[in-house]
Amino acid sequence: MFEGFHSVLRLAGLKVGVGEWLTVTQALDTGLIGPSLKEFYSTTRALVCRDEADYDKFDQAFAAYFQGAQLPTPVAQMLQSWLDNPLSKPPLSPEELAALPEYDLEQLRKLYEERLKEQTERHDGGSHWIGTGGTSPFGQGGEHPSGMRVGEGASGRGQAIATARARRFRNYRDDVVLDTRQLAVAVRRLRRLERKSRRLELDMPETIRKTAANGGDIEIVERPERRNQARVVLLLDAGGSMDPHVRSVQAFFSAMKQGGGLREVEAFYFHNCVYGEVYSDMALLKKKPLAELTRSVPPNTNLVMVGDAWMAPRELFSPYGSIEYGTTDEVPGIDRLRDLAAAFPKRVWLNPIPENYWGESTIRAVAEVMPMLPMTVEGMVAAVQVLLGRGERVAKRTPKRPWPSPQEIF
Amino acid sequence: MSISSQSSLPAWTGTPSYIADESLQAIVNVAVGLGRPLLVKGEPGTGKTLLAYAVAEGLKLPLLTWHIKSTTRAQDGLYLYDTVARLNDSRFGDNNVRDIAQYIKLGPLGEAFERSQKGERVVLLIDEIDKADIEFPNDLLHELDAMRFTIAETGREIRASLRPIVLITSNAEKELPDAFLRRCVFHYIEFPEETQLARICRVHHPDVDEKLLAAALRRFVQIRAVQDLRKKPTTSELIDWLASLRLSGIDAAKLEATLPFAGVLLKQENDAQRVFRATLPRR
Repeated sequence: MFEGFHSVLRLAGLKVGVGEWLTVTQALDTGLIGPSLKEFYSTTRALVCRDEADYDKFDQAFAAYFQGAQLPTPVAQMLQSWLDNPLSKPPLSPEELAALPEYDLEQLRKLYEERLKEQTERHDGGSHWIGTGGTSPFGQGGEHPSGMRVGEGASGRGQAIATARARRFRNYRDDVVLDTRQLAVAVRRLRRLERKSRRLELDMPETIRKTAANGGDIEIVERPERRNQARVVLLLDAGGSMDPHVRSVQAFFSAMKQGGGLREVEAFYFHNCVYGEVYSDMALLKKKPLAELTRSVPPNTNLVMVGDAWMAPRELFSPYGSIEYGTTDEVPGIDRLRDLAAAFPKRVWLNPIPENYWGESTIRAVAEVMPMLPMTVEGMVAAVQVLLGRGERVAKRTPKRPWPSPQEIF
Repeated sequence: MSISSQSSLPAWTGTPSYIADESLQAIVNVAVGLGRPLLVKGEPGTGKTLLAYAVAEGLKLPLLTWHIKSTTRAQDGLYLYDTVARLNDSRFGDNNVRDIAQYIKLGPLGEAFERSQKGERVVLLIDEIDKADIEFPNDLLHELDAMRFTIAETGREIRASLRPIVLITSNAEKELPDAFLRRCVFHYIEFPEETQLARICRVHHPDVDEKLLAAALRRFVQIRAVQDLRKKPTTSELIDWLASLRLSGIDAAKLEATLPFAGVLLKQENDAQRVFRATLPRR
């Protein structure tokens, strides 16, 4: 029963193995799952999903299988990521501005999805679509997609499909920027526990050994507690192009500071690119020479840079490239980054802008010097792996194959 | 309707005080029928822990609870060998020190197995499994699969003959290992919708004034919709809030313009200010 469903689930990105699928069929055979589609939906979801982040994928697959909806194409996903991560507000003409308030986000998204469907079916180029629709949502940046109800009421086939089409669980996908707690959990993996603390704890095995050697008279042995020795130097871009990402940077920063249990977290700021000095305040007033930062790096120190790495090429490659008033540095920014790279063997660059944009020349150049990862929970977890020296395992994620439509599968 | 085929248990349909929607009922029955642990996640206050109590109550089975702390080890759930007591007894000769069995204390998991060995089916709640070390769930895999273990000190084997019904809750503080997840049935409890919330409130406050309930709910939903709250108020806070409102005899109409007992709902200073700014009329 439902053989094709298994492959649709896998195409949607769920890791449904033979074992899981056998469980589903077993539950169906033994009558554990009732005959209603809604019950089939919720129980199957309970058996094949392992995280609420999977629910969205499941909903898509369910809608695709039972209602012939399209699995998202890479184009659709890219556009969705534009909607979810507004980049900057392009200048709008007064007419455009006037037209803007008439759409709320929900309508916009609906419009988008409809356009998108047309587009994938006709296999058009995307220029028309991006040209007209593309500018308006940028003005609405930072909204949550949770309110979206696409496809509701469209089904005469029962509640479950409508639920699936609504995709209520999109917020739980793990490739979006999430709250600090989850980031803190990721950061916690950076720990390097060493017995270097001044606080002592009871050393049980040694106490027993000494006590036994003493003929049963108890002798207490103490040893230093295990403490996290990992340090982090944070370099944060405070440039104007980072404005749309302030919230995610803040979340990340507080996760680092409070949640990680790290031995030391030092934060410095820069503007677009690092030059001869970094600043210990966001207003870029208190200077600290870069040389001081790179001179003596204690062991277990990790460099984490946060920025969009998106700038005019001359800001990165030319001498005196800084556009900041009062900053003159003969050395091009890219060389300063190389200095940092040499001083910090453990380093990553977290970029809040979506990976689709990473083809930009300055971003590519920075990524060559600093291992670059997206500033999402997923990216943060990968970044910690890189910092722990297990980078190869996560290094290159294989680009996903374009989605075939359900018609191609069956 | 679902049938719990592998057991003589009736299908679980919630309890008078625990309201479960159809899909949750179906999932619980599938987990029971398949004999797999049910892993429950969800926002705080959505009734993850209470679900275990409700399952036990609904199926009329005894409930064993195992609350996990950051220092809990998998071994603690099986049994503890109290060496200190034995050492103490050896010095002062109170008991028969050669009888090791008396120093073995079964943990919650061990007890669940032992009771089911005697033919008694139990519900076991493993609460907040993510609090423990990252490797903790993996250490439990074998015991949960085989439903038996051996006490090394005495050589006694404890083997469950009826699978206990295992419910596990997690707050997603740590990611759980894949091998563990593969063995579980997973359910994410969504935050209830307004009608469901009203039903839950009426269970806890059976004689509540409908006008007050409606006003409170409207306010509550409004507060939860405020952007960027660090901690959204949950169902349990709503129930407490309703209790405070009733105790002080506040009129439903008053809720339109003020937010009495805001501290019951909002536990963070910033959140409270954000809510005031977003939802209260300006003076």
